[in-house]
Amino acid sequence: MGEEFVIQMKGITKVYPNGTVANQDVNFDVKKGEIHALMGENGAGKSTLMKMLFGLEQPTSGEILVNGEPVNLSSPTVAISHGIGMVHQHFMLVPSLTVAENMVLGMVPKKSGMLIDYKKAVALTEEYSKKFNLPVEANARVADIPVGMKQKVEILKALVRGAKILILDEPTAVLTTQETAELFVELENLKKQGYTMIFISHKLNEIMEITDRMTILRGGRSMGIYNTKDVTPEEISRLMVGRDVVLKVEKEPAQPGEEVLRVRDLEYINEWGKKMLDKVSLSVRKGEILGIAGVEGNGQKELVDMLFGFNTPNAGSVKVSGEEILGLNQREIRERHISLVPEDRMLYGIAATASIEENLISDRTANKELNKGILFNMSEIHKMSDQLVKDYTVLCKSAGQTIGSLSGGNIQKVVVAREFSNDPVLIIADQPTRGIDVGATEFIRKKLVELSRSGIAVLLVSADLNEVMELSDSLIIMCGGRIAAYFEDTRDLSDELMGKYMLGIEQQTPEEIRRVCHE
Amino acid sequence: MNKKNDVSGMSRKNSIKFSVIRALAALAIALAVAFILIFVSAEGANFSEKMSASLKALREMLVSPLFRKNGTFSVKSFTDVLAQMIPIMFTGLATCIMFSANQFNLGAEGGIMLGAFVTALVAVYWHIPGPMLIVVAIVMGALATGLMMLIPAVLKAKLGVSEMVNSLMLNYVIMYMINYLMNTYLADTSKGVTQTQPFQANAIMPQLVSNGSRLSWGFVIAIIMVILCWFFMYRTRWGYGIRMTGINQPFVMYSGMNVAMIIILCQVLGGILAGMGGGIEMLGRYSVYNWIQQPQYGWTGITVAILAGNNPIYVPLAAFFMAYLTKGCTLMSTNANVPSQLISIIQAVIFLFFAAHQFLAGYRQKLVVKSAQEELAQKEAAERSGEK
Repeated sequence: MGEEFVIQMKGITKVYPNGTVANQDVNFDVKKGEIHALMGENGAGKSTLMKMLFGLEQPTSGEILVNGEPVNLSSPTVAISHGIGMVHQHFMLVPSLTVAENMVLGMVPKKSGMLIDYKKAVALTEEYSKKFNLPVEANARVADIPVGMKQKVEILKALVRGAKILILDEPTAVLTTQETAELFVELENLKKQGYTMIFISHKLNEIMEITDRMTILRGGRSMGIYNTKDVTPEEISRLMVGRDVVLKVEKEPAQPGEEVLRVRDLEYINEWGKKMLDKVSLSVRKGEILGIAGVEGNGQKELVDMLFGFNTPNAGSVKVSGEEILGLNQREIRERHISLVPEDRMLYGIAATASIEENLISDRTANKELNKGILFNMSEIHKMSDQLVKDYTVLCKSAGQTIGSLSGGNIQKVVVAREFSNDPVLIIADQPTRGIDVGATEFIRKKLVELSRSGIAVLLVSADLNEVMELSDSLIIMCGGRIAAYFEDTRDLSDELMGKYMLGIEQQTPEEIRRVCHE
Repeated sequence: MNKKNDVSGMSRKNSIKFSVIRALAALAIALAVAFILIFVSAEGANFSEKMSASLKALREMLVSPLFRKNGTFSVKSFTDVLAQMIPIMFTGLATCIMFSANQFNLGAEGGIMLGAFVTALVAVYWHIPGPMLIVVAIVMGALATGLMMLIPAVLKAKLGVSEMVNSLMLNYVIMYMINYLMNTYLADTSKGVTQTQPFQANAIMPQLVSNGSRLSWGFVIAIIMVILCWFFMYRTRWGYGIRMTGINQPFVMYSGMNVAMIIILCQVLGGILAGMGGGIEMLGRYSVYNWIQQPQYGWTGITVAILAGNNPIYVPLAAFFMAYLTKGCTLMSTNANVPSQLISIIQAVIFLFFAAHQFLAGYRQKLVVKSAQEELAQKEAAERSGEK
């Protein structure tokens, strides 16, 4: 293997217009013909760094060299002309077109100057498919082919465009174990033919298996470049997982009461046949906060979806206060006083062009106090929303203001105000402070603790280690759709230990994990 | 014009001022374009002849709908325009409610036709004494159309079938079904054209004025419906559900409202309103049913709803604008020799600029949001430094 660098990124800093510093003085280089891992937790800056390399974003400062030449990657077209291709995590394919048609999008072979030469497109697809040993069906519609093949199409698409360097953004996130193994063989193949690959992932075993070197990012900074064979999984986990700023939240020890949420043996296999939840059992009691930590995509989202009726599991049961809630719709779930702070607040949490007030009443429009006969009792609605705006210190001119014009933190305060104020017995808080300012974060965390101490059961799902460790009375770690560990007390937990469980290096015994059921 | 504007940013006074200026600007540009088109097609040997012909045409369009040749205000012309507003207020309201929930149901056209037809049948064949006949006939027309809308509504709510395609096709199904029934069973064979037997005498709606404008009490009912619809949309939980569904459907589901019910409700209500409009139009202005072609009120209703920004309270304004424009264009075509094809183009140009005025409203909204955010950020920063 030659020692020449095909990519060098020097002193890259990226500040987004909203002030987020996504990358700070990052150095990154890739040698010709290697598979280079880019590792880091969610929000560590991996995607931003790669977006800059693919021309989707421009660095605020720093320079990028391709084959030793400084380049200005102003758009993906420029990046492709320098031989850089990207395989996106969410496939950028047109589902209604065939594989061959997708393959030649934007570079269509023409017949007599006008017509699309479809035969040529198929021939080209088959030629590349054979050459790189990536079997695809050229005539099948993309909508009809399995995920694994879609990915091959994406890779081929990049290769057809002359890419010598492939950026693979979490390529295994959507694949089953078998498809992953297949992909690795194909990647090894490409490597032998002299292609260079950048492999974004946070799955340790995959990294150890396939990559030559790695760069670890944490909080937007580079933690160094390492040869894969020289580092142990433990070291990687320590470098990747760690806390920077610590917001302390004062809380008294929990005095758990009776069981509120009881989840038993929940199993879910997603539409692509991947097992996302594997015999998950847990209990949350009155007055305690149970945290769920873990790298995103390890079943947390699926678990929350099951609990709030967005999806149905293949097996298992979910009871709240002794009553089965699986199969209920959101209205019936809310009638049982279950609240959800949704992960995606813009999609589920709010109606952006409606007023703050209209967003505050969405779960209680049928309440007697807010209605006078068939009409709304507007004075009661104004009174209630003004009170909530005041109690939750939502920064706005009035409750009549459009919610979409508020900052992220204030939007989340509105969501939280609604979810916390309807007399809940169970609050599911999914990433409650993601992407919002420090002030709002602190406020929401204090509120969660306060509510739990008043006797409400809280299930907190968060990819933010600080948050789960500071807020939770006890916590579980999810990895690969299973509970990897349960800690009854979060006080003497170290980041290092958590990292090991989060990345699947260690796993507690079933007996230890079973303690979360409090039986 | 748009209520959204005064909630964020500017004071109410400024907001109204801005809206008026913007509307006038849009109209001015539209008229300028129209004038150029008229001028190009105008007859005349030289520039000044063409110019005077064009000005005459423009005067016909802008002034003649309400004023006589000598410049005095004509009450008859005014009541004519008001009468023309009645059916398009109903189809406009129907479309407002359906579009508010993001349901692009285009069935108001078939709806007003079916409502008119059913009402007419009751008015011909059911022997109910006194003015009760009017009420029963209109209610039957409205109910029939409400039921008709169940087809696209239920298919959308339960199977996800596009309500747009469905309702569009339904318009033609309704039209041809009515034509079939008319030609086969119902037509008055003693007449040379396809029409029903005459309505019973007590089925004719009383008129507001007796100058021949055929401005019936239906106008008052339409205004009452405007107010009721506004209350329904902005002061009841069902209207709230409809509006929120239009903004963000997943949010409505997550909040525990019944999305399927809302999707069905808004379309059935739209059907009832359109059907009611058809019935009132029939009994207010006709003495027999003779619609064998689509009356076009449904399509105009869509325009009305778009101009009104889906807010019922602005429907009378938008309907007045459309009725005035239609009448002006007709007068221009008959009195000023402007070719009728050009009339359609001019109407479209004017509408386009008014629609653009709505887009401008969106742009302005963004500007206001931006300034509000900046302001809030400053406030926030000030508070934070105050805390320290």
